Amino acid sequence: MTTLLEAQNVSRVFGTSLLNKSGTIAVDGVSLVIKEDKPTITAIAGESGSGKTTLARLLLGMIRPSSGEILYRGRSLLGMDRQSRDEFRRQVQAIFQDPYESYNPVYKVDQVLTLPLRKFRLAKSKEEGYAQVEASLRMAGLRPEETLGRYPHQLSGGQRQRIMVARALLLNPRIILADEPVSMVDASLRATILESLVKLKRELGISLVYITHDLTTAYQVSQSIYILYRGSVAEVGSVEKVIKQPKHPYTRLLVSSIPLPDPDVRWGGDRELEVKSSEANTRVTEAQGCKFANRCPFVMPECHHAAPPLYRTDDDRAVACYLYKDSPIVSGAEIATSLAS
Amino acid sequence: MTSNPVKDRAPHVLVVRDLTVSYRTAAGPVRAVNGVSFALRPGERLGLVGESGSGKTTTALSLMRLLQESAVIEGGQVLLDGVDLLGLSREEMRQARFAQISLIPQGAMNSLNPMMKIGEQLRDTILAHSAGSVSKTDIYARIQKALESVELRGSVANSFPHELSGGMKQRVCIAMGILLNPKVIIADEPTSALDVVVQRQVMETLRRVQESLGAAVILVGHDMGLMAQFADRIGVMYGGKLSELSPVRGIFRDPLHPYTQLLIKSLPNLEMKENFRGIPGLTPSLLKPPPGCMFHPRCPQAMARCSTDIPTLVEMKPDQWVSCLLYDKGQS
Repeated sequence: MTTLLEAQNVSRVFGTSLLNKSGTIAVDGVSLVIKEDKPTITAIAGESGSGKTTLARLLLGMIRPSSGEILYRGRSLLGMDRQSRDEFRRQVQAIFQDPYESYNPVYKVDQVLTLPLRKFRLAKSKEEGYAQVEASLRMAGLRPEETLGRYPHQLSGGQRQRIMVARALLLNPRIILADEPVSMVDASLRATILESLVKLKRELGISLVYITHDLTTAYQVSQSIYILYRGSVAEVGSVEKVIKQPKHPYTRLLVSSIPLPDPDVRWGGDRELEVKSSEANTRVTEAQGCKFANRCPFVMPECHHAAPPLYRTDDDRAVACYLYKDSPIVSGAEIATSLAS
Repeated sequence: MTSNPVKDRAPHVLVVRDLTVSYRTAAGPVRAVNGVSFALRPGERLGLVGESGSGKTTTALSLMRLLQESAVIEGGQVLLDGVDLLGLSREEMRQARFAQISLIPQGAMNSLNPMMKIGEQLRDTILAHSAGSVSKTDIYARIQKALESVELRGSVANSFPHELSGGMKQRVCIAMGILLNPKVIIADEPTSALDVVVQRQVMETLRRVQESLGAAVILVGHDMGLMAQFADRIGVMYGGKLSELSPVRGIFRDPLHPYTQLLIKSLPNLEMKENFRGIPGLTPSLLKPPPGCMFHPRCPQAMARCSTDIPTLVEMKPDQWVSCLLYDKGQS
């Protein structure tokens, strides 16, 4: 199986200057693999400051890695020739959090749909272009007659977001990166949009990278999940393992903090985790060692000395935590490849 | 008024009757809140949920009389311990804010003054509401106590807002909200900008200070998970009206209104994968509201009379109120 999109041990540092040599490490040695033949939905989850959006921008080629490489079909995004670059730009599409910001308010919504057609010369005639626009709107669950010819403010947030899905579809992409696509959408429409994303995978064979802070929707749509903490992968594996039986203390804290829509399931039931999770020290990062050590109720001396490697606790899961040091060490690339296959 | 969830016998701290609010817009008046009635018992936590445009935030801000200029409160009463807040003079209302009824706003980062230290902002709140002179030591002690009650160090008083994390700023807003021991606290999506772990900790703090004060809370929001974990009772708003008002278990286990039923079914959970059941259709346009029941164009159980008759809120089961013609037997 050939690899479509791959992050090889990528890091991104922001804000280095003469005065501040170290800067802020937003993404710290992350590897990720999306295969060609088997469409998957991969979730990247984390809180603000976890580096999930920076990772998305790296994968889209919007920013360059400080170290490591992003490869598309085996070619580095850096130094790609124009033709491969155009192919990458067309085949890897993005959907962002706030659909309103993706529109120019003085143009009708038709513009965001016809512009990519012109840019990539995908339609031979105007009629053919409109036929493609209508087909992709229907695929995204919209009625063309209710959407075309309108201005962005005349549509609901859910409609605007689905037009962004339609726009991505027009280009017949191989991969769609969706960065918090439903966090600004009302609950009743959220399910509909997530459903249309899953349909893209199922019916069109498009792989998705779903970036979110919401573990519940991540569980709903994806097969594998990367939990990021301060730029590093804390835990990675199948959603069944990571969300239903979390192992890393940080993942356990996250899962236990989900406010479940059930008044009889108590919030924060995992009280063992409460010990050091006061937010006063969430801003401090260890100079070396595990980044979660100063919040971790299970911290051990070795946690302060060196960052833990990934330990493969299960076939389909690896955890970056010394609590699991009896399991074999696995590289990020290795576990990413095995999850993608 | 036979159909009103305000029972006169129960000792309520806040009674809202037939609240009606419109916004003036270029395209004509828009009725954002349309005859909303509910009552709060002391110490009770009421959740007000709804989609954007349902009128939940307008309802909450009306109680504080903090609506924007284009909004007009057309009618109704907001009785706080029997005093109609809508009838107070501007100055009387200013005095009532914070002291009687306070607001913890959405997005704490935007509601604190970036140029003033936290301690100074808390001090101003105390001074603006004290008739005589208050000693410096007294103010200092009250500020320290308020910060302590929301689990912040006293030294936070000397910080500027930008020096604090989002969760800490939201705690400062809670401290400000409880500084003068109000009877009612309105919290408008107080944690929507926070991460899940911090969100839980902040909500636990809010709950603890609210319980120790014995204050009633109205939590406004759209996160049903948060509501399930926090609220005692939930009011579901749709198109400017209350469609259902029930205890939290009634809403989640035995919802009466078709909208509530679909809303509960649409919630993602950790039990079933790829369980997507959205509510078809769109929220009603308030400029051109549908005739009859606001929900009938999207309602799978709509009957012929739903497009002509307007349902009223009736008590179907003890403490479970619903506004739906399915439950309206006999009269037409």
